Amino acid sequence: MDGIESTLEELYTQYPETVKKNRKKHLIVKSVAEESCPQIEANTRTIPGIISQRGCAYAGCKGVVVGPIKDMLTITHGPVGCGYYSWGARRNKARADATTPKDKIYGQMCFTTDMQEPDIVFGGEKKLAKMIDEVVAAFHPRAINICATCPIGLIGDDLNAVAKAAQERHGIQVLAYNCEGYKGVSQSAGHHIANNNIMQNIVGTGTGKKPGRHVINILGEYNIGGDGWEQERILNDCGYTVNCVLTGDSSYLDIKNLHLADLNLVMCHRSINYIAEMMNTKYGIPWLKINFIGVEATNQSLRQMAKCFNDPELEKRTEEVIARETARIEPVLEQYRKICRGRKAFAFVGGSRSHHYQHLLKDLGMEVVVAGYEFAHRDDYEGRQVIPTIKSDADSKNIPELHLKPDEKLYKENHEYLNMTKEQFEALKKEVPLDYYEGMYPDMKTGDIMIDDCNHYELEELVNKLKPDIVFTGVRDKYIAEKMGVPAKQMHSYDYAGPYAGYDGAINFARDVAHALSTPAWKLIVPPWERKEEPEEKSQDGVTNA
Amino acid sequence: MASEAAAQTPAQGRVKETNENQCNMCMPIGGVVAFKGIENAMVLIHGSQGCSTYMRLFNVEHFNEPVDIASSSLNEKQTIHGGEANLKKAMDNVIRVYQPKVLGILTTCLAETMGEDIDRIVASYIEEKKISGIDIVPVPTPSYSGTHAEGYWAAVRGIVAYYARPAQSHRRINVIVPNISPADLREIKRILGLMGLEYTLLPDISMTLDRPWGGKYQKIPPGGTPTAAIAEMTGAPVTIQFGSTCPDSLSPGKYLEDEYHVPLVNLPLPIGLGNMDLFMKTLHKISGNPVPDELVTERGWLMDAMADAHKYDADGVPAVYGEPELVYALTSTLAENGAMPAVIATGSKNSLLAERLIPLTEGADEPPVLIEEADFASIEDAAIRAGVNIAIGHSGGKMLSERHDIPLLRIGYPIHDRMGGQRILSAGYRGTLAFLDTFTNTLLNHKYATYRQKIKREFCTPEGM
Repeated sequence: MDGIESTLEELYTQYPETVKKNRKKHLIVKSVAEESCPQIEANTRTIPGIISQRGCAYAGCKGVVVGPIKDMLTITHGPVGCGYYSWGARRNKARADATTPKDKIYGQMCFTTDMQEPDIVFGGEKKLAKMIDEVVAAFHPRAINICATCPIGLIGDDLNAVAKAAQERHGIQVLAYNCEGYKGVSQSAGHHIANNNIMQNIVGTGTGKKPGRHVINILGEYNIGGDGWEQERILNDCGYTVNCVLTGDSSYLDIKNLHLADLNLVMCHRSINYIAEMMNTKYGIPWLKINFIGVEATNQSLRQMAKCFNDPELEKRTEEVIARETARIEPVLEQYRKICRGRKAFAFVGGSRSHHYQHLLKDLGMEVVVAGYEFAHRDDYEGRQVIPTIKSDADSKNIPELHLKPDEKLYKENHEYLNMTKEQFEALKKEVPLDYYEGMYPDMKTGDIMIDDCNHYELEELVNKLKPDIVFTGVRDKYIAEKMGVPAKQMHSYDYAGPYAGYDGAINFARDVAHALSTPAWKLIVPPWERKEEPEEKSQDGVTNA
Repeated sequence: MASEAAAQTPAQGRVKETNENQCNMCMPIGGVVAFKGIENAMVLIHGSQGCSTYMRLFNVEHFNEPVDIASSSLNEKQTIHGGEANLKKAMDNVIRVYQPKVLGILTTCLAETMGEDIDRIVASYIEEKKISGIDIVPVPTPSYSGTHAEGYWAAVRGIVAYYARPAQSHRRINVIVPNISPADLREIKRILGLMGLEYTLLPDISMTLDRPWGGKYQKIPPGGTPTAAIAEMTGAPVTIQFGSTCPDSLSPGKYLEDEYHVPLVNLPLPIGLGNMDLFMKTLHKISGNPVPDELVTERGWLMDAMADAHKYDADGVPAVYGEPELVYALTSTLAENGAMPAVIATGSKNSLLAERLIPLTEGADEPPVLIEEADFASIEDAAIRAGVNIAIGHSGGKMLSERHDIPLLRIGYPIHDRMGGQRILSAGYRGTLAFLDTFTNTLLNHKYATYRQKIKREFCTPEGM
């Protein structure tokens, strides 16, 4: 422990005093003495000039939540850059299906008003309105999203008025998101803005319930590299009907029917917990935090889900699927474990992944010694029980909090959705953590470090001092680690790989991690003329070992 | 939307309001690349932090290198009260952690719309903090005023204007470059060396954005143009600027000519035999030195390859898109190989390109379509109508191959879906040869991959199959 404390003290020496004071609050070393998580500072303003990994509200709204809705045409209202930078960067996969033909999928495309100086001076409303007319004429989309970039709020374009007029003109829904990049402190603000709009204006407008005994939604799964498809495969196998995966490969039609499900699963807690909570309030649909990243985690999630429905047949089938899939992938994973076992990792991604991936790494015999989120809130570290104690500040107050009431026609009690009595439901809640997320802390070990909004400097120092075997992070700091001789994996778009979720995903991930750890390059860094003299030893491939 | 016969009529932009699948990025990201080519420089973007994060993403994916860009992280409060305090705090922290000698400050659409006066803020910061030993160079790059190509030139001009001061005459020539790959820069430096010239290359990302493995990791990579050399560019005998399409208002070479009477020779990029010959002729004239055998041999290899490949190249019907300077050089390279582009497009609004293309394209059997302020919807449309069979440009055009099976030869900026954007060599005789081989073989790959089906369609009846 002392070692770590002094290491961390050194980490801060280069900061000015105020920065040091600020950053210290964003870091916690898990101590054996503390059973509950000490308070960590999160979701507060990034210090200017620190090279943070965080993005902006626009990135959270357009890039993360609404962009992947496959049959909604999303327009970026602003100068040219933001549209380009968020174009396909997250690899949300989408495919045509029975209700959404290929020509109604716009995910590969990018639309922007490309505002020029006169638009900034005289306003961009007319340009936007004309653009909506053009895309409607060219594509006949089912619905349109308009996402604002920074200057919009300042020049006073009334997006909602433009959207409303366009909606009347064209008879399709046009939604405006005031997700200007400067709002909030990170992309998290954009998630919330998107959640609010989707919940208020799309969810609940459909009437087509999908057939099936147990109908579920997966919320906060963005189908990067096909993650959502692997989850659907498993869930279908167990006997569930997947109503909608929000928003990876989701369609506008599915989201209209989002309320016609019996249980909401929450994958990325940070970006989607608002909708989960609001649906609970408005419709009475319970939600369950699950994690399909990792074999054990997937098994546990499936078992918890099965318990929710009070259906022995479902539990039986779930066990069959678990047994069959585990038996299928175990021998493959065991091969990769030979390379991965005992290796130390850092994980700095997102608002949920740094937690999710700890489970999969544990399956491979690896341990995460430093983990942190870019844009999480305290509850993602400490657990949802701290929410009432989180102080709201000027930044969080700028994002409206919707206070929904139970729907007069559609509200049912939690237990009715799950086909059980109230008493059974109360008993279930003791066994399965419904409507709750415990955060990352319980899964960290004594001496592990949790760090919020880690920046380039801190990453570099931590890599130097703690010498991990691999770093899981975004592409922006991937090459810093690699320049220091530590392999790094891009965990936003998976270095163009995936899926990493579920059982097939575990194999893909294990293979990619094993590749990263065993690439011959790491052994060839020192040229032969600088290597210490040692008996000439040739490996099989003819490369002299260092 | 697009003008047929570029030679006769000036190009037009899109007539639609919709920019569908953008062909260009915004001004500040170009400015970032320019500052990364200055020795010991760090760059800070005055705006919301998403801008810096997005621009790091695209630069990192293109260069496969760490590219640190700081942000003043403006929040809602500052949009009302001004961003001065944030920008000053940001400068404090960047200076503390990175200890740069040069700190470039670029603006965004947010800062510009707020009306932030970065010159004043920087001046007051320097006075308050008694800053010395660090040059803080503010350059406005409002995202709505141009593309990344203009942002790049604006920053290079800003850097020159910041450092330029009267200097003693010296022998070092100025060589000012657009945003080209580190590999191209290294080739240009080699050529200048072979010609026995001393020079100041501005900016120089050849090492900073393509650093070799080895040694202790440094936050600011070694390399880049030294600021002392930039200050003395005013005393150079001549400026060679690969900026034949660079408007005077953004031209660093024009600035040195107007303010310090350094004669400016604006050349096209030395890609293509003709353009490279022009460069060599200029260097020969300036230095008085003969062109060394090594380069003569390389020219010979290129000539040989051009003759060898002409029968395949002449089948090429290319679409070329990207930054104006690169588009001009590639058009000229393709034209001299008998593959006149059918579609020439740039995201910039740049009438100089249209003018410069006239001598290249007049007399063409099929006059090319020139699109300015292009998006990929307009490029795609023109490409299909013109029967384009190869596209040449950055990664943004991948839909041309994914949707229409038009092979894409990746060159330019950004290349974010393939490895090694920083190592693409196309300058010099050697680079041109590398480009030409890739061009020819891309055509051949596609031909061999599809010719059986083609023959089958043409010659085999269903009965005879």
